[in-house]
This record gives sequence, C-alpha cells and structure tokens, in this order.
Amino acid sequence: MDTAPTDLSHVRQPIEAANGLPNAHYIDPALYTEERQAVLFDNWSGLATASDVPEIGDAVPITFLGMPLLVVRDRQNTVRVFQNICRHRGMILVEEPRKIEGAIRCPYHSWCYSTEGRLVSTPHVGGPGRNTHDGIDRALLGLIEVRSHIWMDVIWINVSGTALPFEQANADLLARWAEYDKPLYHGGADSRWRLDVNCNWKLAVENYCESYHLPWVHPGLNSYSRLEDHYHIEEAGKFSGQGTLVYRQLKDEAGSVFPDFDGLSDKWDTAAEYVTAYPNVLLGVHRDHTFAIILVPEGPEKTSEHVHLYYAAADTDAGLRARNTAQWKEVFEEDVFVVEGMQRGRHATGFDGGRFSPAMDGPTHMFHDWVAAQMQRHRGTTPLAAE
Amino acid sequence: MSTLDARLLAAHREHDTAGLVTLYAEAARHSVDEDTRAFFLTHAHVFALECAHPQTASLRAALITMGREHPL
Repeated sequence: MDTAPTDLSHVRQPIEAANGLPNAHYIDPALYTEERQAVLFDNWSGLATASDVPEIGDAVPITFLGMPLLVVRDRQNTVRVFQNICRHRGMILVEEPRKIEGAIRCPYHSWCYSTEGRLVSTPHVGGPGRNTHDGIDRALLGLIEVRSHIWMDVIWINVSGTALPFEQANADLLARWAEYDKPLYHGGADSRWRLDVNCNWKLAVENYCESYHLPWVHPGLNSYSRLEDHYHIEEAGKFSGQGTLVYRQLKDEAGSVFPDFDGLSDKWDTAAEYVTAYPNVLLGVHRDHTFAIILVPEGPEKTSEHVHLYYAAADTDAGLRARNTAQWKEVFEEDVFVVEGMQRGRHATGFDGGRFSPAMDGPTHMFHDWVAAQMQRHRGTTPLAAE
Repeated sequence: MSTLDARLLAAHREHDTAGLVTLYAEAARHSVDEDTRAFFLTHAHVFALECAHPQTASLRAALITMGREHPL
C-alpha cells in the first residue's frame, strides 16, 4: 500500500503561523526514502572530505543512503566519486579504504578500471585468453561517476545530476564567505572524529541553525557569548544559521593562539559564523580555524556526524589543537540529548510538528520550509505562488 | 602438483600481486599452445595493471600482438 503524501501546507507558512515538518519525516521509512531523492540526491549533499583521500591512489568506499560510493584521488590528483560497482555484474569493487597502486581490479572477474574510471581490461570476456568482444564496448562501460565538487575541503555530490552547478546553487554562501576561499589545512588525526546520534539527520541541522538553545544547553558560553551577541543568518531557499559577535581565540598558558587566515577583514577579529549549507553540511568559520560537520543519514532515526577541523597553516601547535578538539567535542556532545530527545518526541502522535519562535527560530523555520519545498518539487505539487 | 602451481597458489594466498605477475608470465612462457599462453599472459597482465608493474605495457603489447587485447 502506498503511503499518502504528508501534508506540508502548514509548514510552508510564515514563521508565526508555521508548523514544523510532520512526525513522519523523522520516523517513517517511506518518507526517509522519499527525502533520500528529493532532498539529498537532487541537491548538493556533503559526502566526505578531500582530506579523506590525501594522496594519489587513495580510495575510500562510503555507503551513502544505501548507495555504494567510492571516493578516489586519481593519478592526475583530482578527487572523484564513483558508484562503487563493476559495470559487469554490479560487484562491489573496493571494500576497505586502501591505496590503488595501478588499476582498480574487480575481485569477481577482474575487470580493471583506471583511477579516472576508464575500463581498461576485460579478461576472458570473449572466452579464455580472449579479452575483447565486439559486444562489449569498453568506452561505454567505465565507472559511473557521480557529479562532485570540492569546497571548504568538503566533497559535495549531486547524485541526480540535475542540480545547478555547485557555484551557482551556492553562490550566495560562497560570496558571503569569499574571504575563506583559501587553503584550509586539516588538523590531522587529532582534528577529526565521528559522533553517532540516535536522531534523524534533519534534527541536527535544526538545532545547529539556532542560538536560542545556547544559554540552556551550552551554559559555558553564557559568560562570554550571550544570546544577544548572536545574530541570525538567513538566506531563504539556500542556507541559514547564526553568527556571534564575540568570538574569543583559544590561548594556551603562554598566551599563544592559532595563526589567523591571511587577509581577513576586521569583522572576523571578533565574529564567527555557523551555517548549514543545505541540506546536510554544518560549517563554522573563525579567524583562526574552520570546521565542517558532514551529517550522514544512517536510517530514519540514526545519523553519523563526521567532524573535521581546519587551520590556516600546515603546522599548528598540537597542544592547542587538542584543546580546540576537546572544546568542540564538548559542545557537540552537549547537543546530543536535545536532538535525541526531539527524535523520541516524534513518536508522540499528538505532536503537530511544533511551532517556531518568530524572533528566535527564523533559521530553523527556513530549513523546514526548504525541505518542504524540495518535497513539493519532487511530488510535482509546488504551490503556484511559491518559488 | 607442479612447483609452479604450488608457487602460484602460495602467491594467491599471500596476496603477492607482483609475484603473481612473474609466475603467470612464467606459466605463459612454458605453455605449449597459443590459447594457453594467452590465458596465462592475461592473468599476468591483469595483476600487472593492478599493481602498476613495470612489465604492464610489455605484457599488454604481447597480448595485442596475439590479437587478444586492444591498445589503451
């Protein structure tokens, strides 16, 4: 039996009247499947980071919403994303992260692909010792490449192939953060971690968008980054988040700080901004470090958060990096109980998606509206007055 | 089992890709007919591709000469 489409009319309202997305969008496998296409595959979603494949030949298999993908840094030093399957019988090509020394050899019948995705060998395809056949045109059977783009070291993918070019789709955010269009140095093993949360990925976005919860969930900020020091960032249909006017650099006992990124305007002396690039990448920028959190949906009610910290120089103080990592780990772990609590709340049959504070929940409401718009586009039910 | 067979099986067990190139090329040299030679050269070539072996191009060239492979 088909699931009836969810009613999104109450979501696509001005903030003072809107409800959030219905419960089904957080717990129903059918909606999870629908959003997989409408929200994540049809747009530019974050998958991994270029730092996950630092050297030529590095290959990392990733299952993204059930789809087997392979991130490869090819011989020309270009990062590519392929569907991780052989074009012969659909066998998974690479099971574990490893270095591809030469070609990618399928373990089943040994069809071989270059790191650029070309099919270069089809052993015995025409019979034993006969490696060609007129019916097998290798030019048509290369690896299926997934459209990808790298920005802020994040590998963004558009599985559907139908999104506008990344630079167009995200022009406004690229312009807002143009000053950070410079080399970002991943802090290394001590600057990356994974956090698994028992919630739908959208709740992590909704929480990240707003500063409204900071005084209660992150009380450590109250002494120096009060609610009134934060501002909304809202670009309808594109991205939303929050900024702070009172960023304080981390210092060690000697008063040392991380080096600043070159050429930043004075604004960034004391400002920091935190934005979700819709749909699933949480970004933060500061004068002396940036971060990216890639939300990978693991199921309707499970998400893995992949956190990466970046600095302005290749060499930074290990002690300071450890403290910065610990600081952000603490902050992100403080959010776990609220996102998991909201997730459990989605099983309350009387919950209507909730309401939004017109003054404080603008960025969050904007994300709900965007998701609803993607669903309506996918369903072919976009209201005439919208978009 | 011949010693070559035993060495091949050991190389497979140990995932010794470069070793497999050498051993399959040896098997090809000792083959008594064209089809058998092409079979073993194919294996040598595939494993050479996989590990970027220095003999990759010459193994492919040999197969091309036999009419059993296309140029890249």
